[in-house]
Amino acid sequence: MAGIPFGHVLALSGILVALGVACATARRNLIMILLGVEIMLNGASIAFAAAALRWQQLEGQAFVLFIIAIAAAEVSVGLALIVHLYHRTGSLDPEKFNMLK
Amino acid sequence: MNGWALFGPELFVFGAALVFLALCLVKSPSPRRDFMVALSLAALVVVAGLAALKAQGTLFAEAYRVDLFSQVFKVLLALGLFLVICLCSRLNGVEARHHPEFYLLLFICTLAMMLLSSAVHLLSIYIALELSSYSLYVLVSLRRARQMAMEASLKFFLVGITASAVMLLGLALLYGATGAVTVHELARILPGAADRPLVQVGLMLTLCGFFFKLAVFPFHVWAPDVYQGAAHPATAFIATASKIGAVAVLVRLAAASEESGTYLAHALVALSILSMTVGNLAAIAQKDLKRMFAYSSIAQAGYVLIGILSMSPDGYAAAIFYCLALLVMKFTGFLVLVAVAFDGANIEIAELAGLHRRSPLLAMALMTSLFSLAGIPPTIGFTGKFLIFNAAIAQGHLPLVLIAMVNVVISLYYYLMVVKAAYLLEPALDPPPMQLPAAVNVLAVALVAFMVVFGVYPQAFIEMARFAAAALLK
Repeated sequence: MAGIPFGHVLALSGILVALGVACATARRNLIMILLGVEIMLNGASIAFAAAALRWQQLEGQAFVLFIIAIAAAEVSVGLALIVHLYHRTGSLDPEKFNMLK
Repeated sequence: MNGWALFGPELFVFGAALVFLALCLVKSPSPRRDFMVALSLAALVVVAGLAALKAQGTLFAEAYRVDLFSQVFKVLLALGLFLVICLCSRLNGVEARHHPEFYLLLFICTLAMMLLSSAVHLLSIYIALELSSYSLYVLVSLRRARQMAMEASLKFFLVGITASAVMLLGLALLYGATGAVTVHELARILPGAADRPLVQVGLMLTLCGFFFKLAVFPFHVWAPDVYQGAAHPATAFIATASKIGAVAVLVRLAAASEESGTYLAHALVALSILSMTVGNLAAIAQKDLKRMFAYSSIAQAGYVLIGILSMSPDGYAAAIFYCLALLVMKFTGFLVLVAVAFDGANIEIAELAGLHRRSPLLAMALMTSLFSLAGIPPTIGFTGKFLIFNAAIAQGHLPLVLIAMVNVVISLYYYLMVVKAAYLLEPALDPPPMQLPAAVNVLAVALVAFMVVFGVYPQAFIEMARFAAAALLK
């Protein structure tokens, strides 16, 4: 493969996923949690693109295209849910939702 | 056999979902019409599944494999869908104008589970899993008690997307390390590459997505809240049908990676023990009947894992058999729950008091289902557990089986508490006898008979499970 070794790209995707996990677990705002998970998905996408180059296959790139589409579906379901909750409660703080126990 | 015929049951379910999409657009709500349409379509799905039982072949450039294994799971899923729709005759928990959407999502989720049981390409597995999750997130939020349902749906969604992102990373690592994109390529490459850390981490992270579906230990946190917050039939669907698809794909992956050494088996042993113990201990403290069911199903997922981690044809056959048993046992519990909670609200275990006088038949059905879940002979639950433990001992997992036995005893305690509430406690006010539709009585008798008769004579289903497991390894 030309230039960049696989390990380096994997490290980049690892850093992105770690940032996503940090964002999803540390932020106390539903939209930021959703964004954190999106960053995790993008980190995984980069790993797929790198693997596609490593094995000289198109499957990895097909994966990336599908992940982008699925992430869009995920965000639309998630935002619909979050907007509805915001209308009902006026809050985006996940700790406010503790009725079930 | 040509491709369209192979894809028959899935196409039929898809068509049924389109019918409900059209019904969603009709202005005047008519719960009765929606229910009758759903019931007849679901019955036809079962017929379509049975008709395609012997189908065999691959589709979509080897990404989709139709064999006895997948077809057996499709019949189980169709049966689960049909039974759950039987619970919807009143569907008080959901507003009338949302009924068509409710059925639409049930059918879409069943379709996704069917796709999952046949998917052998990593991409098709991922897409089928996401499709089933997204339809369930919305399904949970549809309850009339909106505040509770939205909260449950939110928790389900947040845990679910995190698990799926972790799984995707696992898939990326697995693909990056091996270059394999189908389960069969993985089975070919893994034995030589199993000691590489990238492969091990990738495989473990990949399984996280299915652990979420099955509510296995680290990803079980959603289960109690979602069970409590969702409408009763939606909970029944999540508890029965949605687990079957996850078991199907877990068995497939385990069969592919069975020669990759003991590392995977060890990880699964740990998760199985944690699931059983956490589920059973937490269930003891529950007052809400549905939360108790949730923790009990976390524990049951641990037993299923024992069958899978045995990684032998007997183990897979036992897991398949136990899936069928779980479907019937849990469904019977929910049948009683829906009949007792006629207004669609949640009930506490104490509210079952006096059930044996209000409806002796339902009380007996509840008792049989709980005894079966606990694994008391002569019920199908006992036979299932026996097969699983037997397969595990044959593979040298004796300590694990002993721990599982201890767990069975713990679980007996809280199952008996429910039976005690139904049979021995007297209610403060004397409630009138329940007026049940004849169909519910017939269904209850049929389920009890199924659990007992096939607990004593399980041979036919064991044979079927063996053939299915054998088709998997071909």
